[in-house]
Amino acid sequence: MRYGILIFDEPERNISRKIIHIDMDAFYASVEIRENPSLSDKPVVIAKHPKDTGGRGVVTTANYEARKYGIHSAMSAQKAFELCPKALFVPPNFELYKEASRKMHQIFQRYTDKIQPLSLDEAYLDVTTNHINHKSATIIAERIRKEIYTELNLTCSAGVSYNKFLAKIASDFNKPNGITVIPPDKAHDFLMKLPIEKYHGVGEKSVEKMHGIGIYTGQDLYSKDELELVEHFGKMGHSLYRKVRGIDNSEVKNNREPKSVGKESTFSHNLVSENEVIGALRELSVKVMKNLNKKQKHGKTVVLKIRYEDFQTYTRRRTFPDFIDSEEMLFQIAVSIWEEESQDLSIRLLGITVTGLDSIVFENIPLPLWE
Amino acid sequence: MKFTVNRAIFLKKLKDVQLAVSSRATIPILTGIKLIADSEGIKMTGSNSDISIETILTVSNEAAELTIDAPGEVVLQPARFFSDIVNKLPDETFTVEVKNGVQTSITSASSAFVINGLDAVNYPRLPEIDTKDAFTLPVNLLKKIIKQTVIAVSTHESRPILTGIHFIIKDGKLKAVATDSHRLSQRVIPIEGTENLSYDLVIPGKSLQELTRLLDDSLDEIEVSVAENQILFKTEDTYFYSRLLEGNYPDTNRLIPESSSTQLTLEASTLLGAVERASLLSHEGKNNVVKLTVKDNSVEITGNSPEVGRVNEQVTFNDLKGEDMEISFNPDYLKAALTTFGSIEVTLKLISTLRPFVLVPSENNDEFIQLITPIRTSS
Repeated sequence: MRYGILIFDEPERNISRKIIHIDMDAFYASVEIRENPSLSDKPVVIAKHPKDTGGRGVVTTANYEARKYGIHSAMSAQKAFELCPKALFVPPNFELYKEASRKMHQIFQRYTDKIQPLSLDEAYLDVTTNHINHKSATIIAERIRKEIYTELNLTCSAGVSYNKFLAKIASDFNKPNGITVIPPDKAHDFLMKLPIEKYHGVGEKSVEKMHGIGIYTGQDLYSKDELELVEHFGKMGHSLYRKVRGIDNSEVKNNREPKSVGKESTFSHNLVSENEVIGALRELSVKVMKNLNKKQKHGKTVVLKIRYEDFQTYTRRRTFPDFIDSEEMLFQIAVSIWEEESQDLSIRLLGITVTGLDSIVFENIPLPLWE
Repeated sequence: MKFTVNRAIFLKKLKDVQLAVSSRATIPILTGIKLIADSEGIKMTGSNSDISIETILTVSNEAAELTIDAPGEVVLQPARFFSDIVNKLPDETFTVEVKNGVQTSITSASSAFVINGLDAVNYPRLPEIDTKDAFTLPVNLLKKIIKQTVIAVSTHESRPILTGIHFIIKDGKLKAVATDSHRLSQRVIPIEGTENLSYDLVIPGKSLQELTRLLDDSLDEIEVSVAENQILFKTEDTYFYSRLLEGNYPDTNRLIPESSSTQLTLEASTLLGAVERASLLSHEGKNNVVKLTVKDNSVEITGNSPEVGRVNEQVTFNDLKGEDMEISFNPDYLKAALTTFGSIEVTLKLISTLRPFVLVPSENNDEFIQLITPIRTSS
């Protein structure tokens, strides 16, 4: 791109990653139907019945049967009722959906730890390296789909490609209960044919604006130069210029709140002296505290794990009234637990975990002017 | 990448390249500064779409106390943030080290920062400029020419070509002209060694203003190379690239009057004081107008803003020739023009109430000219 006197090199694709996007089909409705099979084959709307709410309330999910009547999520329940008076309205039961989502994540964890949930029913998985050491992301996606179906009795759609943007578009392409794979050599053709409405992140307003400057398909978007897109759409233009070229380098981020932070070491030579153990505990305390600080968390419970030469493993936990906020404090606690619990020396493994985590909250303390 | 360097010397260079960086750049990477370390030293680059500044701090510069421990490159952004950090570091030297990818640590004495950088691979390139036909200009003269003409550069984008200064190098002379269509500044100086050169360029006024900020008065000469749509000014360790404006600059020679009916000679500072006082009032009024009246061998500046009040002042002059005259004008234009003369004697040459008037130094009056158009007052 020429930008005044400057020349920007064209961005390059990174096709080395393998990303899966899993999207459950009409998730809340499907869970309800699973729990109550008499609902199947009927239009099901997850919302309180407008009669019971005086016409208020919105649709959270509608099953595919209900969608045939033009009902969709975010629509008012009253409107849904008008479109299909015989629809079955089921009030949402989020505990049930959370439980199903948790089980779904357990299936994902069989394959990878790099999981980024977008909501209860959607997640990105990075399977470039995975727990079953399988090369094919497509086969992993198929296995996940099958396991979700057999274990949870729910269907989902999967998209497989080399980045998050393409994987998400792919999962939407063959919905419900389908799988779409976009390999690197097919990405360009796929993106060119795709209507602009299908580009993830392009909202209704932007679609109108796109149409205004003659962009209806990926091909039209591809033909625009970067400066023109930046001029019309700001930073989104910068990003769309890359996406239409199949470029999206964003990572699959595990943004779950950690429940505990810990670190353990297995020693090449068993620890045999008190000094060695104290040294190792010091080192672990520093690492754990550093990690806690990075996550802006602190906790009140310390768990010490000790494995002896004979593979006997003990964990001892102790909870304190106050948060543990320094590595010195953590170290002292770890040492005192060890001193009380230690049976003999010759230790293979030591681990320190801080749990019962809470976010570190910053509050500017006010002067007690009115007390 | 890892290097250690003297803080004050690095900071001076950093501020130089920062002149080209805008915090509001629409392209994120341009809000940063690119650093490259190699065996020779550190190269820093800052850019916008109009200018790019590159400067090199070499290991041979002893005062810089520079040691390169590992070559590499990174973009640190926003530039302002980086220079604020360097500015506040506690020790005389500091160390920059890029760890795992783009995470960059900046340490000085017991203070340590870790900031997130960007991959320098995505930083734009500059087109190559052939420096074979480079010529040199004296730095002090170039700065003076820019300061004397840049005041008349247009700030409106409606006529882009007028946002630049027109440079013509021909017959051993450099002529610089700027006009926003209400005033015009022109400076001509002979420059040794340019007898065989012929150039006709329009350089953005903003670029040249940044160039004057960059150029230290201690520098003697600057090397200039011209390419199709850009220009490179090069000192020993700094490269300043600017875009050139495309299009034809209007012919301004015909606008400069050859004769006059009234010639008023006075100290530039005397007239400046009077106009500044009169403009205090005109700025408050609806119309920003001041009137100069030459009558019965006296010179008077008056301002009349009915909503606010009136001002008049008799102006001391050194010489007055020709006819009586009354002329109204924007006092800000005259103030800006007078400032460019410094404390010398100037001559105002007036033709008539509705014709442009000029200011020239009372001596050497063919080298420097400021022209101002009058305001028509309908009564």
